[in-house]
Amino acid sequence: MTGSSGRRKGSAAVALVALLFLFCAGIVSLKLAIERIPRKKIPGASIIYIPSGKYLKYATFGYSSLVADLVYIWAIQYYTTYTIVDRFQNLEHIFSIIAELDPRYTDPYEVGALIAVNEAKDLRLAYKILDLGLAKNPDQWIFPFEAGHYAQRAKDYETARKYYEKTMNIPGAPEIAKRLYAAAGFKVMDLEESWETWLEVYNTATDERTKKIAGKHLYQVKTAADTNLLKEAVRRFRERYQRLPAELGELVRFGIVSALPQDLDGKDYIYNPKTGEITPPSIWWKR
Amino acid sequence: MATVLQVDNLAKAFTPGFIPKKREILKGVSFSVTAGEIFGYLGPNGAGKTTTLKCILGLIFPDRGKIEIFGHPHLSMKGKEHLGYLPENPYFYDYLTAAEFLDFYARLFGLKKRDKEDKIAGLLRLVGMEKARDLQLRKFSRGMLQRVGLAQALINDPTLLFLDEPLGGLDPLGRKELRDIIVRLKQEGKTIFLCSHILQDIEMICERVAIIVGGRVISQGSLRDLISEKVLFTEITLSGIDPACLVDLGELVSTHGDRILLKVLQEDTIQNLMALVHEQKGRIHSLIPRTETLEDIFVEMVKQG
Amino acid sequence: MKIKAIALNTFKEAIRDRILYLLLFFAAVALVFSRVLAVLTVGDRVKIIKDVGLSSISLFGVLMAIMIGTGLVYKEIDKKTIYTLLSKPIQRWQFLLGKFFGLVLTLFIMTLAMSLIFLVIVLLYTGRLEGSMLLAILFIFIELVLITAVAILFSCFSTPILSSIFSLSFYLIGHLSWGLETLIQKTRPGMSRIALRGLSAVLPDLENFNFKTEIVHGLAIDPRFYLYSAVYGLVYTLFILALAVLIFKKRDFV
Repeated sequence: MTGSSGRRKGSAAVALVALLFLFCAGIVSLKLAIERIPRKKIPGASIIYIPSGKYLKYATFGYSSLVADLVYIWAIQYYTTYTIVDRFQNLEHIFSIIAELDPRYTDPYEVGALIAVNEAKDLRLAYKILDLGLAKNPDQWIFPFEAGHYAQRAKDYETARKYYEKTMNIPGAPEIAKRLYAAAGFKVMDLEESWETWLEVYNTATDERTKKIAGKHLYQVKTAADTNLLKEAVRRFRERYQRLPAELGELVRFGIVSALPQDLDGKDYIYNPKTGEITPPSIWWKR
Repeated sequence: MATVLQVDNLAKAFTPGFIPKKREILKGVSFSVTAGEIFGYLGPNGAGKTTTLKCILGLIFPDRGKIEIFGHPHLSMKGKEHLGYLPENPYFYDYLTAAEFLDFYARLFGLKKRDKEDKIAGLLRLVGMEKARDLQLRKFSRGMLQRVGLAQALINDPTLLFLDEPLGGLDPLGRKELRDIIVRLKQEGKTIFLCSHILQDIEMICERVAIIVGGRVISQGSLRDLISEKVLFTEITLSGIDPACLVDLGELVSTHGDRILLKVLQEDTIQNLMALVHEQKGRIHSLIPRTETLEDIFVEMVKQG
Repeated sequence: MKIKAIALNTFKEAIRDRILYLLLFFAAVALVFSRVLAVLTVGDRVKIIKDVGLSSISLFGVLMAIMIGTGLVYKEIDKKTIYTLLSKPIQRWQFLLGKFFGLVLTLFIMTLAMSLIFLVIVLLYTGRLEGSMLLAILFIFIELVLITAVAILFSCFSTPILSSIFSLSFYLIGHLSWGLETLIQKTRPGMSRIALRGLSAVLPDLENFNFKTEIVHGLAIDPRFYLYSAVYGLVYTLFILALAVLIFKKRDFV
């Protein structure tokens, strides 16, 4: 009696386990199928729909700076997702939310302006963000300094001068701000001068943060210079050999350049042999 | 003899829920307990026994009435110094061991360290829980909890002990042991207030009782005064007799094979019966006179009230 | 001392509650996760670790306070352990205070544990022992003590679920003081404005204990603010405890 019921129990257990496996397999394959369906949205994009930072602040119950951090981290991932082509529509909105939640958090102002200038090509917005940053943090000379920099690169000398003047008047600003103020009337800043500017800031920096920011700008200048160099080399190669080089090493072997430049971290530049495009190995402001 | 507990005209009404209607539980309860006696407080469920007890102990605040313990107002700290209380269905802190539990209560009374140790050991021995000293209370059975509860009630060597249904849920051996302990405590000079609805136990150990029905004490006095020793009837078990002969002598209760259980009302009828059995060469197996029990009185009183 | 005996007993009971350790586990997970989260940001990484850390200690501390506080007195009443206790020569307020201190001690141990994990994580990342964090944590603890008193207050007459909801509401209202301020400013001067002002004066302003943002940014705070906040916390806690004693004093234990 016990034997047969025991066997029945045993087979029931086996059947149950088999069923469980089937379910697992079903779940896994369904998930894979769903993942294959193209999805346009990036998770968390509903943040865009928050009406205002002010109201969000009330909803955070004393955790506003943590929420600012989280929105900022989300924004960074969002704005480096290049597949979302219309992502800059809400740039001002997102960064104003972060500013409202934690006005003294300095990183978002800078990075917001950076994204505005370099990715969204919206200089006016960059000024707006940096102005807001300065308004909330009057001791941060780096905001008007960067604004002046952007203005000068865009050949807007009037604006550049105004910003350099503001920078000068903030205690702790580097000496170079004065020189830039003087020079801003004359010309656009070329890569060489940009490099010198930031190198001086880097060397005279009194704190880690300024050093880091200067380092980032230095990286950007170097990659700009190196990219130009490599682009020119590729062009000359093409002229001579009627084809794109298969890889960057060919430029050296064929004597176009003596050696391949590397970025400030010692990494190689990325070359796309089909299009001839050169890209730096890191996103400079994300380092 | 001194009065240790005096309750005068206690009244308490409750308003269950949000309905403003009041429900009177105690409608004027009065009784007194003298020193050194085992006092039984009985009544049917819902009569107000536990409510009375809680009023005395300060867990409930009565609407009217006066309570005095050792002559002090019942809520004073002086009154409570010499009290012990074992609640019904005791539940204690799960995670403590028996020894830790008693230690906690000992500290509430401010007992000194050395006295504490001796006291706890002695009490555990008294209630037969020595072996379970370091066992966590959550592993205790109902009977064990009851015993530890009694130990807790005795931690301050009280002169007045309140026991609420202490014998409920115990097996026969446990009940006998507990009864013996209660009697021994009385012999040590303690006064015991016993709340119960198990009448057999009350009958066995109490000297005076008060019966509460419907929120009022309808009877109070010594047990012996309440219960007369009059014989109500006699139950006789016999065999070997033709049932037809017994019709006039008594009431046939039951038959089991050859044996007949007969209920005889008159004492003199018994003589006739015995003669008949002798005549017919039958046998009398047992002869038990039934006197009035507490249960009889109780049921009668409840019916009236 | 009787209060001490009850406090220690309460502590022993509370510290064995498994819920506490579950919450502690989650707090530890959150603290370690902050390290991971910090990798995703651009710029100051330590800020993320500190923000997540302080917020975790605050959030999980509040949850712990509410979870064990609301059950504490209610359980004694429900399970009737309170019968034997109150029949002893002990005043009801002594009982309540003992419960309160036992709970505060438990929370202190838990906060200490979380703080240690937090400081170690910060130490591993920056190589420095950030003592200023302790100041923020101290005021988080003061807030926890107040929440504990509130939880005990509700636990005196309410079931654990209701008490939890009330205590949580107290916490949320306490952090919405900005909203009330804005409302006051937008209201026209008159009776309603006076009423709102009165309300804002009496309602708890838990933002007084919130120094997380300032301390993470390293901003200077007027020491008087610290002092006033601490005293505010103390007085409000005493107020809540007095209320609890009042309610508990006249309660019938049916």
